[in-house]
Amino acid sequence: MTALEASGTGTGPATDAKASVAGSTPVTPAAYNPRRDRRRKWLEIVIFVGPALLLFLVFVIFPMIMAARYSLYKWDSRQPFELAEFIGFDNYTRALMGGTDPETKEIFWKAYAQPFWNAVGNNAQIIALSMLVQLPIAMIIALVLNRKFPGRSSVRLIIFAPYVLSEVVAGLMWLMLLDPRGPVTEMLAAIGISDPAGGWLEDPQAGFWTFFFIVSWKYIGLAIILFLAGLSGVPPELQEAASIDGASWWQVQWRINIPLIGPTVRVWAFLSIIGSIQLFDMAWVLNKGGSTGQYSTIATLMVDIGTQRNDGGYASALAIIMFIFSMVAAITYMTIVMRRDNGARAGKGA
Amino acid sequence: MANMRRLGAFAAFTTSAALLLAACSSGDGETTDPTDSPTNGEAEQSAEPVTLTWWHNAVAGDNGENALGDYWQTVADAYTAENPHVTIEIEQVQNEDLQRTRIPLALQSGDAPDLFQAWGGGELASQVESGYVQDLSETLADDIERLGGGVSPWQHEGSTYGLPFTFGVEGIWYRESLFEEAGITEEPATMDELNAAVQALKDADITPIAVGAADGWPAAHWWYNFALRSCSQDVMAAAGVDRDFSDPCWVQAGEQLEEFLGTEPFQDQFISTVAQTGATSSAGLVASGDAAMELMGQWNVFVYEGFTDGTDEGIAALQDDLGWFPMPATDGGNGDPSAALGGGDGFSCYVDAPPECADFLSFIVSDANQMEFTEATGALPVAPAAADAVTNPVLVELAQVAGNAEYVQLWLDTSFGTNVGGAMNDGIVSIFAGTGEAQDVVDLMTAAALTE
Amino acid sequence: MATAVKDDVKKRRSSQSRARTRLGGDSSIYVTIFVALIAVGLTLGPILFLGLGGFRTNGQIAEDPTGLPNPWVWQNYWDILTGSTFWEFTLNSAIISIATTAGVVLFGTMAAYPLARYSFRGREGVFLMFTAGLMFPLTVAIFPLFLLLQDLGLGGMWGLIIPQIAFALPVTVIIMRPFLAALPDELEEASFMDGLTRVGFFFRMVLPLARPGMVTVGVLAFLGSWNAYLLPLVMLTGRDAPTTLPLGVTQFQGQNAANFAGIMAYTFLAMIPALVFFLMMEKRIVDGLSGAVKG
Repeated sequence: MTALEASGTGTGPATDAKASVAGSTPVTPAAYNPRRDRRRKWLEIVIFVGPALLLFLVFVIFPMIMAARYSLYKWDSRQPFELAEFIGFDNYTRALMGGTDPETKEIFWKAYAQPFWNAVGNNAQIIALSMLVQLPIAMIIALVLNRKFPGRSSVRLIIFAPYVLSEVVAGLMWLMLLDPRGPVTEMLAAIGISDPAGGWLEDPQAGFWTFFFIVSWKYIGLAIILFLAGLSGVPPELQEAASIDGASWWQVQWRINIPLIGPTVRVWAFLSIIGSIQLFDMAWVLNKGGSTGQYSTIATLMVDIGTQRNDGGYASALAIIMFIFSMVAAITYMTIVMRRDNGARAGKGA
Repeated sequence: MANMRRLGAFAAFTTSAALLLAACSSGDGETTDPTDSPTNGEAEQSAEPVTLTWWHNAVAGDNGENALGDYWQTVADAYTAENPHVTIEIEQVQNEDLQRTRIPLALQSGDAPDLFQAWGGGELASQVESGYVQDLSETLADDIERLGGGVSPWQHEGSTYGLPFTFGVEGIWYRESLFEEAGITEEPATMDELNAAVQALKDADITPIAVGAADGWPAAHWWYNFALRSCSQDVMAAAGVDRDFSDPCWVQAGEQLEEFLGTEPFQDQFISTVAQTGATSSAGLVASGDAAMELMGQWNVFVYEGFTDGTDEGIAALQDDLGWFPMPATDGGNGDPSAALGGGDGFSCYVDAPPECADFLSFIVSDANQMEFTEATGALPVAPAAADAVTNPVLVELAQVAGNAEYVQLWLDTSFGTNVGGAMNDGIVSIFAGTGEAQDVVDLMTAAALTE
Repeated sequence: MATAVKDDVKKRRSSQSRARTRLGGDSSIYVTIFVALIAVGLTLGPILFLGLGGFRTNGQIAEDPTGLPNPWVWQNYWDILTGSTFWEFTLNSAIISIATTAGVVLFGTMAAYPLARYSFRGREGVFLMFTAGLMFPLTVAIFPLFLLLQDLGLGGMWGLIIPQIAFALPVTVIIMRPFLAALPDELEEASFMDGLTRVGFFFRMVLPLARPGMVTVGVLAFLGSWNAYLLPLVMLTGRDAPTTLPLGVTQFQGQNAANFAGIMAYTFLAMIPALVFFLMMEKRIVDGLSGAVKG
């Protein structure tokens, strides 16, 4: 895989890396005073790591901790936060199960837990559909395009282009194209596909699928390009040998190409899962997650509650829940799936 | 608390004690130069330069024209000409962003504009309770008296925290030619007549009513009006204060809406239709004559005009064909059939704003400026003395309806505040989408109120 | 040394692509071309349609949403390109993205250097913390971050640049660390023999040699910053806040409600800078994306 070599994570160099770290001390000229050397070393480390670490702690870690703190408070929009009332995990139970008070449970379920689980369901569906729909389609396209043909590099370039567009701009574009009397609606009507009763995006049922289509339009290029990059790393000798043995095109793909780009697929799947959990810009620009939340995500629900409804404590609880989902997904994925790939590469993450 | 925050910020970023002191004394350290407190009372303000920041919602409209924004600029220029020590920095922000994002965040951050758009009601009440807004009851007592009842949404517990510059009620805009085409001769005065009109229009192959349900609030206003007709004034007023929605009239409002939706009065795919963007928006449909009616506030005449070719003839032709009638009365219900929903735009001063803020606000709503405001923008003024300046016949009618109304109820979402109002609108949109019921709206509102 | 590394990479790449192209029967080339055409059509169609829509009038669009411009109207594009806001927003976005990129690359590479080539206690802990940063999307911390920036008085462009640098650091450190670790030891030895200190080594040798990696992370940071939406949306509260292009597009849409064709033109124009940048940097973007998670 070209990317591997370019970013220097290939098997060979990484092994060197470990050796270099371990062997760095003896390399230092003997003329150095060891104690002064050590102090100097720490000074250098602080100078090098310091700015980044400071920025990271102040602008990433600290706000995260504050979000966790806010999530434990009843955030009265009429009062500054300093006067807010500590309510423990009430914001969390409100989201997860409609609170703990039996008297208000029913209406809280309807008002808070239902939209929350609806959003979680949308996130989960997008993850599942990415694996079940985007992955096979991207794989087939990548396999078919993995050969020489006229205009190959232009085709690759074009397929990947939506990825670099901002979600805002792409979202606005589709909003216009999918207007009830817009071009897509008219064109599809011309070939006999009528739009859903509520319109493409706002129909309570169909809206989610339209949204998934738009997300796929924007992101499937990434999968295709990553897969193509992976395929370029498959040793051609293997494929040639199989062809000579009489294997059909499909057999070559099934037995050689697809298994060999497994690591690439897993990397893409990881990116896709994390991205799906954190999906925001696109859903927000289209219509803040949809008028009935048909394509709302945890993030849109959070920003909606936080900015439009002024309930910062509850919004923070949603933020933390989203973070926990991302973390669980990442850790699970890294320990179960990616470890297999990394095992082969000595020195990784040393 | 906001001051503490800002102070902390200054302490961290300036080592100069002088600057720090300036930040403490001026109250609005970052943008306002230190001002000595006026020694000779208000009339003779200190000549120390003062910068007023002013956020309003008059953004350039459809054809790049911004009549209101331009007018505000002339007002600011006129004021600074009279008061050379004052500089006014204007920021114009699109209404939704301004109301829902920019102002709330600015107030919470303690770095707010001196003079900012205020819509009154529950929203302003929460800002007041947070201590963000200046009490103008005494400084502007004369203006409050002069403007009369229109000020009440900007009042909270007997004190005044802002002044409106425009106020109007909402009703149903319609195209007279389409009514004629469908053989409708009278403006509907009851729901039965409205239903009959809807049917007549359908028979004539005309979309009866346009609604921009994708934006939420345009759909919600239908429910508001049903609620206004089914809830008594007392219930309505009490709900605005203690957020009690247990009266059955709130559920009835939703049921009436469901019943009305059952007659399919709205355009196809109304749930995907926005209110103002593009020819396929609800305003666009009415302006182009594709739909006959739309329930909207007084501002919509300007939105419709945006869809004309911008020429005087085009605008005149549209205005000629544009009619208006108040929301029809429903059967039964405890509401007064003449009550109307309305709202307006006003301005409030940030709590730390210099005294020039109130002075400038008073200047904005002076009789002379209200007159000019109406002449420049065509919109409805608040000052009674400026009423004669209204020329648009529909707005004249609208002003009369407002004047004759038993009472004018402020938009319910504004009245109930951001949180409950947002929950209410979400619930109403669900009824429109067919995914929610009348009871849900009340439940969502009750739940939201309980979290406050 | 640097060129040697690069050449090696280049050689391996080209040999692979040569070998690959020999595969596949000739009869199936039509299938490939067919699939390619469909994919290209689906990708490009909507964008072209948007661009063409900008060449129409609102009247044309209302009459026939699917039609082609007839006659072609240049007014929409002309108005936008001669108006000030489009260029102003583009310039704002460019300044913010470039500053973010510079900060990310500089601080990220600096941080990755000791993490890759020094051995010290707590090294893995620090690295792990940066890795964990991958799981903190800006969305999660947006409200506290906003309040923090207000407290610090960080408004305007800095209010966007500094948090964006901070949130882009994890990816950068993760990509740069193995990259720096892969630099040959002999180089370091030779430099120390020549009397270079580690700091000198970093500036004289590491920075030039790490250029490919730095370009990769820089490109990712640039794209992230250029396309950012939520932070600018929230941070706009500051008085002198510069509007970035994505926000400018939504603002234009809100302010020119009736002008559908104008919105199409504006949205299309807003795509162009990113697409041009992409054409220049395509290879680096792909490398960066796959490298990001590999590292």
